[in-house]
Amino acid sequence: MNRNIPSISKLNNLFLDKELKPSELFEQVYENASFTESILHAHLELFYDEGMENSKKSDERFLKGESIGKLDGIPIAIKDNINVYGYKTTCSSKMLSNYVSPYDATVIGMLKETGSTFTGKTNLDEFAMGSSTENSAYGPTKNPWNPDYVPGGSSGGSAAVVSAGSAVASLGSDTGGSIRQPASFCGVVGFKPTYGTVSRFGLIAFASSLDQIGPITNTVDDARIIFDNIQGYDPKDATSIKPKYTEPKNKKLKIGIIKELMQEGVSEDSQNEVNKVTQLLENNGHEVEETSLPLTEMALSVYYLIAPAECSANLSRFDGVRFGLREPASGSYEMMNKTRAVGFGEEVKKRILLGTYALSAGYFDEYYGRALKVRSKIISDFQKAFDDFDFLISPTTPSPAFRFGEKTENPLEMYLSDLCTIPANLAGLPAISIPTGLSDNNMPLSIQLMGKPCSDYSLLDLAESIEDMVSFNHLPKITKGDNES
Amino acid sequence: MSLKPTIGMETHVELDTESKMFCSCKVVETDEPNISLCPTCLGLPGALPVPNKKAIEYIVMLSLGANCSITKEGMFHRKNYFYPDLPKNYQISQFDFPVGFEGSLEIVIEDSLHTVAIERVHMEEDTGKSIHLGSGRIDSATSTLLDFNRSGVPLVEVVTKPIISSAKMAVAYIEELRQLVIDLGISKGKLEKGNLRFDANISVAEEGSDELGVKVEIKNMNSLKSLEKAIDYEILRQTKMVQDKESIIQETRHWDENKQVTLSMRTKEGSADYRYFSDPDLPNMVINDEFIEISQNQIKETPEKKRKTLLDTGLSLSDSNYLDKGQRWLYELYLSTVKETGDCKSTFNFLTGELQGQMRKAEISELPQWLNSEKLASLINLFENNEVSFTSAKDILAKLLIEDIDPKSFASDNNLIQSSDNDEIKALVTSIIHENQDIVERLENPEDKLVGFLVGQVMKSSESKVNPKSVKEVLLKELFG
Repeated sequence: MNRNIPSISKLNNLFLDKELKPSELFEQVYENASFTESILHAHLELFYDEGMENSKKSDERFLKGESIGKLDGIPIAIKDNINVYGYKTTCSSKMLSNYVSPYDATVIGMLKETGSTFTGKTNLDEFAMGSSTENSAYGPTKNPWNPDYVPGGSSGGSAAVVSAGSAVASLGSDTGGSIRQPASFCGVVGFKPTYGTVSRFGLIAFASSLDQIGPITNTVDDARIIFDNIQGYDPKDATSIKPKYTEPKNKKLKIGIIKELMQEGVSEDSQNEVNKVTQLLENNGHEVEETSLPLTEMALSVYYLIAPAECSANLSRFDGVRFGLREPASGSYEMMNKTRAVGFGEEVKKRILLGTYALSAGYFDEYYGRALKVRSKIISDFQKAFDDFDFLISPTTPSPAFRFGEKTENPLEMYLSDLCTIPANLAGLPAISIPTGLSDNNMPLSIQLMGKPCSDYSLLDLAESIEDMVSFNHLPKITKGDNES
Repeated sequence: MSLKPTIGMETHVELDTESKMFCSCKVVETDEPNISLCPTCLGLPGALPVPNKKAIEYIVMLSLGANCSITKEGMFHRKNYFYPDLPKNYQISQFDFPVGFEGSLEIVIEDSLHTVAIERVHMEEDTGKSIHLGSGRIDSATSTLLDFNRSGVPLVEVVTKPIISSAKMAVAYIEELRQLVIDLGISKGKLEKGNLRFDANISVAEEGSDELGVKVEIKNMNSLKSLEKAIDYEILRQTKMVQDKESIIQETRHWDENKQVTLSMRTKEGSADYRYFSDPDLPNMVINDEFIEISQNQIKETPEKKRKTLLDTGLSLSDSNYLDKGQRWLYELYLSTVKETGDCKSTFNFLTGELQGQMRKAEISELPQWLNSEKLASLINLFENNEVSFTSAKDILAKLLIEDIDPKSFASDNNLIQSSDNDEIKALVTSIIHENQDIVERLENPEDKLVGFLVGQVMKSSESKVNPKSVKEVLLKELFG
């Protein structure tokens, strides 16, 4: 197999120069998938027939010189919580094992317009709740760098397919780090855009005020191209915005290191990457300074009240009445109860309970109400920070990828793996994770950049210049792990 | 111990918008189930709500019509409860920031004006419809059929303060509210179609006490008759319980039309916990002055304004209220006719009595094109000026309903004009007095019933061609000087 997939721009040039056909690329990517899937279990479903058919249409467009754009003929994988018309959207849950979507998510409609093809649907933690894909009802995805390690989550499948070369790029969704954390664990680029710039219509909601669709790619430029093609106001999503993208005032940037994410609880490995990158930034004439965002330490607590509260209502619609799993019972309520008892996994049930409790009469003010107040303080803290800084930098994760089972017994520790990524969701900020190095045990390390709302393109520019500075060009060698029999 | 009832009303008004509240599905009126659906109103995974601007305009109009203050920033909340016909198992509603608050509606009970204080006017989405087979109740049904056509249809809930004191007052309030939504053009206001559905919260407490008694909610009525009976029944039931020293439990009851009683549906242990929280899919509704102005400009008429106009013509409050709540064309016809007759009472009586009566009898629902206020005024003037008898006026009206005639020419052509010629009348009177000497001798005073008999005799001899009033005048003059 050829794991070394060129960037989208290079592929587009190869297509234009008739050195490669989209269908040949699709065939190659599919071949990679055929090899890696048995080890990684990153795709839940492959769309070979329709993918091939669409690639051939791309072939023809390039032949006639009528190609649509940079994504024409590019095979993209879709996280299985984003609806694609006529295909199953399972959210890696038993609840939706038979659910076929009767409509396209807005982002899917937009991608279809670009001439891109879909490789299939990728694995995730059930309903995007988790940080390792260990909560998938269909079994976990393995990390391409070492199958004994988790790929991160919840978009673990989407990160693994890009890392493994079984798709050129993928879409993920990020509620508390679900794009950036798995991208970091798998050594690829993960970008969570500004809240509201990419439509959520057709994304099966986990926590509506935090969820954001974004790309997982090999390069920052690939992320920019995908983002460019899925961003924009959508009249079907009332939280969608008409973005006015901003540029920093000066070429020489001022970048803040978030102090609270560079202390105990964050591994030396992870901190070193930030120090390495800030050194490079200073060498390139940018100004770097440590800054304090004290409320960052409360972000995790706030998140674990707001996200479960929203999810407790968002997941109420899964009741066996109109679609999905239905457990036989003698009455309507018994049917709903049984269906939900059987259909949801443990983590999902835990969060629904947590959220229901946080919203209950008598507890609302103390939990959910207070979390909302702290959230708005976190937002204003970030606003103040961005008065002084163009961008903020931190590790993406407190530590590189961990082994399967390592954190399943200790949910708090699992939750801590989103420590650095959650603040951007609470504040609706654009944030990106880019790979910058390898740990001693050869697992990818990364840094995270955050910008003010609607600084998406300039954030990508900065990420790209860092990408050039660190020139991370390692690739995973995909083999069966120690635990494989 | 004297007990007084206190009633608060919660009314759901179905808005007459083209499309549903949060999606572009058409609002349909059909028995064919599940034909107007999309991922949003069916609660499919990933679908999102987008507010219907027209519906928000309508609810601002209703709030203004109910003299409410309007919030600058309304919020959508999720009301969480599980029910098979509630697709998302939460209903998008409003909680602490309703569109309208602190308003009032003026209502008319017989011949007096009252004010009902409105607590809030808020928006919510309707649910689907369940048909429970086998029993009519979800917990004992053999199966349940679901129709989601109604799911997501915009509803406005209007909540009064607990200040209504009788069933009659509750009915008058609903009549006023119903007329308001019709006059605003925001709802069809058809009770039989369930366009308005009301819940009554009823409690009884000792007269003079500041505290309210334990409240019982009677849910989901859509007829005024049931409302009146249910409230009366419930007041009686509760009064009796208090007198018997039984304690009333807070519960939800429904009015059983067959048994003519209220029956317990479920007991509420405290208040149900709907876990309201602001809907993260929907940004706040910003209702700025410009939006309020646009909504205000849509308001052409309200029952209160109509009633004032009617009162200004000199009509009594109850007559004004009658026309206010009646059909629009009658209200307009009255106003244009009274302008020409200048006589409110006779115009009102003729239109609501004779005209409506004849139309009903002839099964005519719409006035013929030619039957305008000018012709009606001319006809009313004819008999008011004693030019034709009331009987003739009725005949002319009957003719007018089927043929385009001019009332006055018709009266002359058909010899219906009564004579007011005093000489002619005098001659007739003299001859009747002469013929009825025995009666004349028995007459004691001008109020004697026998005067009427003599007038009748004159009329008869003239073949009703003379004016009875003039006859009476002449007769009295002749008899008593």
